[in-house]
Amino acid sequence: MRWRGLLHLALENLRADWRGAALNAGAACVGAGALAFFVALGLGVGDAARRMFPGEARLVEVVPPAVSLAPMLGGGGLDDAAVSRLARLPGVAAAYRKLTLRVPIAASRPPEGVHLNWPTGFTVQIPAVGVDAGLVAGDLGGRPFADPAPEGPIPVVASTRLLEIYNKTIAPAWNLRRLPPGTALLGLQLPVRIGFSIVPLKTEDRVYDSRLLLAGLSDRVPVYLLAVPLETARRLHREYGKPDQGYTSVALLAARPDDVPSIGAAVRHMGFAVDAGDRAMAERVGTVVAVTTGALAFLALLMCALAALAVAQSLSASVRARVKDIAILQAVGATAGDVRGLVLLEAGLLGAAGGAAGAALSRLAALGADAVAFRILPDFPFRPESFFAFSPWLYLAALAVAVVSALLGALSPAAAAARIDPARSIA
Amino acid sequence: MISLRGIRKTFRDGGSEQVVLDGLDLETRPGELVAVVGQSGSGKSTLLYIVGGLDGDFEGEAVVAGRSLRTLSPADRAAFRNGAVGFVFQAFNLLPALSAVENVMLPGHFARGGARAGRSLAALRSEALAALDRVGLGDRAHKRPGMLSGGERQRVAIARALFARPQVLLADEPTGNLDAVSGATVIDLFRGMARDGLTVLVVTHEERVSEAATRVLHLAGGRLR
Repeated sequence: MRWRGLLHLALENLRADWRGAALNAGAACVGAGALAFFVALGLGVGDAARRMFPGEARLVEVVPPAVSLAPMLGGGGLDDAAVSRLARLPGVAAAYRKLTLRVPIAASRPPEGVHLNWPTGFTVQIPAVGVDAGLVAGDLGGRPFADPAPEGPIPVVASTRLLEIYNKTIAPAWNLRRLPPGTALLGLQLPVRIGFSIVPLKTEDRVYDSRLLLAGLSDRVPVYLLAVPLETARRLHREYGKPDQGYTSVALLAARPDDVPSIGAAVRHMGFAVDAGDRAMAERVGTVVAVTTGALAFLALLMCALAALAVAQSLSASVRARVKDIAILQAVGATAGDVRGLVLLEAGLLGAAGGAAGAALSRLAALGADAVAFRILPDFPFRPESFFAFSPWLYLAALAVAVVSALLGALSPAAAAARIDPARSIA
Repeated sequence: MISLRGIRKTFRDGGSEQVVLDGLDLETRPGELVAVVGQSGSGKSTLLYIVGGLDGDFEGEAVVAGRSLRTLSPADRAAFRNGAVGFVFQAFNLLPALSAVENVMLPGHFARGGARAGRSLAALRSEALAALDRVGLGDRAHKRPGMLSGGERQRVAIARALFARPQVLLADEPTGNLDAVSGATVIDLFRGMARDGLTVLVVTHEERVSEAATRVLHLAGGRLR
């Protein structure tokens, strides 16, 4: 009953001084709202950046050293023995071989069953890389990814980002039709000519027709390449007499992200290099987003601290003005703890009201900001549906920060209220 | 019901010490309406605050409603104020933000143990309305103190003091701010309470109150005579 009674009294007190209460709740609202807004913005932009630069924290891309005499001396390349040694490094969960296809592939017709306004005489050169199936297995949904039987279509995996770039950049620029969402394209077959190059003198002596079958979309495939089965790349190299130069690179999958630095060091110790290009870019973008979000969140927390000071000042004045009222409560049985609890409860209610309002306002402000952004920004690749990512925990965090700020601000006034001597104050 | 022996109370003002109560003794029985009269500054209110557990800083032995006040912890003293005694003040001391019925309910919010602990707000409100009915203010229950006359406010204060069904009622100049008619009404209420077995200790300087008392005591020199 005591807490229900105190709650009743706190609500009555706030109602009696609703202007002061609204001011305090407003201060908490601004702090909590700013916090939710900026954190949601950071999360939203971070999500968009991750879609744009999907660096995988556990992957280490091993490449032959840029400058090395070893190949001339008969070693140092990424051959099967080296891959085996790399796979045994501590912390390595798996090693996936990659082999850039040196046989040209070109497409002069659109994918079968898709009308794209393909320009007459238009030919697209298709760079490809052979990869171990395990590298993209998680994105295949069980579809086969192996060197096909003769005359069969070659399964390929494209970058998840390729479709977005095609639809937002290539299609509008070349007046081509946009493609439907990624999964709808799976199974699509593209007629190609193996051995044909649009670069003069690069076409092979033998050119034959084949088809590429889209088996999946993966973030592990570079945006400018199609991944084909490693065995297909090897077979084509054999068919066209391309000498074995070892693998182009090896992707090492670390058991844990924390293992990546030690794996990188071991790789360099073995005389290989680590291509950190994509991952470094993803990390740089992630760092910029995180730092910016952190700075804005810190600013919002400062606002919350100011709100706490405002609550402290306002409640101190309120307690001074209510000394006699508090003494009356003590006369009818309130303990020092009851009085302290009453003041803290008032602050908590102010914080909760302000926090809830702040969370709601931050959502409205985000909707407004999205509307403005969509009106003034062009439709660039990876443009998110919203630049904000709100989640239930973010609303709860905003509410909690507002309540805690108000409670911290109320600590001193509550202690002062609890020290009131009823015998002196009630007379 | 009230048993005070050798009560001594001093106030310190800088380096000097002022003795307000100096070995005061008092014994009352249930059903007594005791008036304490004396000059301003003689310590009448101080005596009331000691008896009511508002002031725990004194020497001597004070037993009220069966509780020895010197030995009570602050929390027990709050519980004592909540259930064993009721206060009525000259300035009414109602909370201006609350309606009459909510003012009367106040002790119920702080009840620990006993019949009122754990009661719902609705139950407390119902009891408070009944208490207001008893002082003739059932129809003014939802008015705030600012909307009530002085006499009505004092009757609200009396209803609040009686809400917890105390054994002792302490009144500090209860008719000081009232006109003759309202004052008479309040005095009648006190008489009725005493008849019902309550011990009523009234500090006053008004003859009309002391004339209604079953016993009148003079506080002078820190002692009752």
